[in-house]
Amino acid sequence: MKKLIIKSTIYFFLILITLESLVRVFYLGKDTPTRFLDEYKVEKWVPNQNGFSVTGNRRQNFSEYHINTSGFNSYREFTPTKDKVELALVGDSFIEGFHQHYYNSIGKKIEKNLPKIEVYEYGYAGYDFADQMHLVNSYKNKFDLIDHVILGIKFSNDLTRGEYQVVKNRLALESPINKLLKKSKLIVYCKSIGVLDPPQKLVQRIINLIKPKRKIIPLDDIEVLRIKKENEKKYLENFKSLVSKYNFDKKRFTLLLDSRITNPIFLSYLQQNNFKYIDFSTYFKDSNHPTTLIYDKHWNNHGRELISQAIIDYLTQHIQ
Amino acid sequence: MLFNSIDFLIFLPIVFLLYWFIFCKKIQIQNLFILSASYIFYGLWDWRFLFLILASTIIDFFVGQSIYTSDSKKKRKIWLRISVLFNIGLLGFFKYYNFFIESWVDFISILGYDLKSTWTLQIILPIGISFYTFQTMSYSLDIYYKRLTPTTNFISFATFVSFFPQLVAGPIERASNLLSQITSKRVFNYVQCTDGLKLILWGLFKKIVIADSIAPIVDDIFMNYTEYSASTLVLGVSLFSFQVYGDFSGYSDIAIGTAKLFGIELMSNFKFPNFSRNVAEYWQRWHISLSTWFRHYVYIPLGGSRVSKLKSVRNIIIIFLISGFWHGANWTFIIWGAIHAILYIPVFLMGRNRIYMNTVVAENRVFPSVIEILQILLTFLLVTFSRVFFRSQSITDAFGFLQQLYTNFSYEAYHHPSGYRMIDYFILLGLFILYEFRIRKDERAPFKFKSKTIRFIAYTLVILGMLLFFDDSIDRSFIYFQF
Repeated sequence: MKKLIIKSTIYFFLILITLESLVRVFYLGKDTPTRFLDEYKVEKWVPNQNGFSVTGNRRQNFSEYHINTSGFNSYREFTPTKDKVELALVGDSFIEGFHQHYYNSIGKKIEKNLPKIEVYEYGYAGYDFADQMHLVNSYKNKFDLIDHVILGIKFSNDLTRGEYQVVKNRLALESPINKLLKKSKLIVYCKSIGVLDPPQKLVQRIINLIKPKRKIIPLDDIEVLRIKKENEKKYLENFKSLVSKYNFDKKRFTLLLDSRITNPIFLSYLQQNNFKYIDFSTYFKDSNHPTTLIYDKHWNNHGRELISQAIIDYLTQHIQ
Repeated sequence: MLFNSIDFLIFLPIVFLLYWFIFCKKIQIQNLFILSASYIFYGLWDWRFLFLILASTIIDFFVGQSIYTSDSKKKRKIWLRISVLFNIGLLGFFKYYNFFIESWVDFISILGYDLKSTWTLQIILPIGISFYTFQTMSYSLDIYYKRLTPTTNFISFATFVSFFPQLVAGPIERASNLLSQITSKRVFNYVQCTDGLKLILWGLFKKIVIADSIAPIVDDIFMNYTEYSASTLVLGVSLFSFQVYGDFSGYSDIAIGTAKLFGIELMSNFKFPNFSRNVAEYWQRWHISLSTWFRHYVYIPLGGSRVSKLKSVRNIIIIFLISGFWHGANWTFIIWGAIHAILYIPVFLMGRNRIYMNTVVAENRVFPSVIEILQILLTFLLVTFSRVFFRSQSITDAFGFLQQLYTNFSYEAYHHPSGYRMIDYFILLGLFILYEFRIRKDERAPFKFKSKTIRFIAYTLVILGMLLFFDDSIDRSFIYFQF
């Protein structure tokens, strides 16, 4: 028995080491850049990082990213001046685009079609509208030099709060233990493909067994509708609060949204109050090809082409 | 509790260590412990059905003793009938009740009467019922045929019935093999344990990598067969052959491997059936414990092949129809059995049903001959064809599938329902076939390499394969649980 336990343990660790090496050799696990909070309490990536974003068990999506000196994934540095024409794309992971090569981003696609414009991509995974407005406000001097600012917004996700606060959960990912775990590519890989989900669920199940059970009262349809309406009202109020707090510049700022998933009340509010927006829903609706990746709902190359086309069309139609 | 779940990954080492360290002093205590572990293992799925296992155990324990102590043949027969009726009754109610009612209603409607089926019930099929009822029946039958002396120890017998590694999907053991091991003192054996661990690893590979990874493709093709061309349908049913093999033989390997950890040797259930050279050889290699059961308790009592050719053919038909029906309460399984009978009979009549009994393909050679390759391909093709019925939800679907195959006879590239690269799966299956061919002589030694380094590489690659094809989003239960 002793022999079995000793040999099994040795084999276990040897296999782990070999797997760690194989995951590294074949680049199966993704790199995750380090995040930080700058002097304005803006959360972003530590500048000048390079790495590869990997999705899927068998590296089905593999792309390089580059964090520039401003702390965002982009092929270029953000150096706005009065003489140039610049466009800033502000948004969440869809704009950030870790799932694409940084030289094949939405910004690059726009620049190819509109060579006179420099596109700055201020995308960061998890940014909601409060994050975006806080970023724009914190770097006001820089953003004042940028001619057009496009802010990506999803009504149901991005307006859950009416004022900016640092998101501690995201920064907790930089805790010493998480940093240590991130050093093992095997752990990163296993986590990304869901191998570590069952143990986590088991722990949760055990906790639930120990914890006293709370009665869950199922909501009826009327109640669900009431909560939905309340939320919609709250989101609209949050939007109003954020645009007034950060002096939303209606002349230069444009929202990027999908009207299919946007509340009509919010859309009519935007129209009535002269907020400009780009609705990319028609581009996606008319597409014969898939617009998202296999593994997640981020835009694939075709989706990014459509987004860039929507922006190009908007710029050429509305701005001289 | 599933073998491929985190629960089992925790359950097994705990039971293993307690079994060998704490409860190893007395065989009775060890058996009581393994019985408790088995009931926990089963009860975590649905504790209510533990009473069924217990009832089956009690009935057959006392029936076995009664048969043994009865002096007249008549009394022995009565006791045997009680056992058979009880076990078949359990199966009949839980597995076949609704099928019989629905078939009766359908039959009446064919005669022109409109009968509304109000007698069908919402019955949950207890997992493993087809397996443990057959196992307990075999005990009574063996005592009846005087092949076995009944045990007087209830705990040992209950452990034999509910031994957790093989409780829910076999192998269906005979008391002469398993019960004798349960009643004997087990001694920890290092080689047996490592062999067990290797089998568990290989079984998990077959389940996670082969069966589970191709399951979404098979499901998609069978669910939407009306939209696909013949080439895709052929792909779907061929992949199903590998899926069901990987699933069930993977389960059996894990079961056999787990039993080894407790010092128990279960019978082999699969011996590389995909390399069979005719249908008879296929049945000597596929679900061996069930085939053996039917041969011992149905085919031979009917006269087997020692009667006239005509009666032998009748016996073969009976065996295959029952075997089909055992799999599920659906006409699809009966037709599947009938197809196998039709495929088996010519082999039997030509006297070729036993020629490959003790040999494997390319026995003393590295590569199979051209003839062997053709034989293997033909057998695979025939068996795979029958699986259209095995996999389809209904007879209508099965015939619809075949009709589509015939009417839409064209080639069309197939794309994975989730958009994954299909080439990955073809490479995987190619390598799997080659590897299985390499180890074809011993189903119990999947990592038989002289070099320790190569063996280590094989373990690592198998685990890497599991990671490369792991998919947490799919249903991970075993196909044969539904039987």
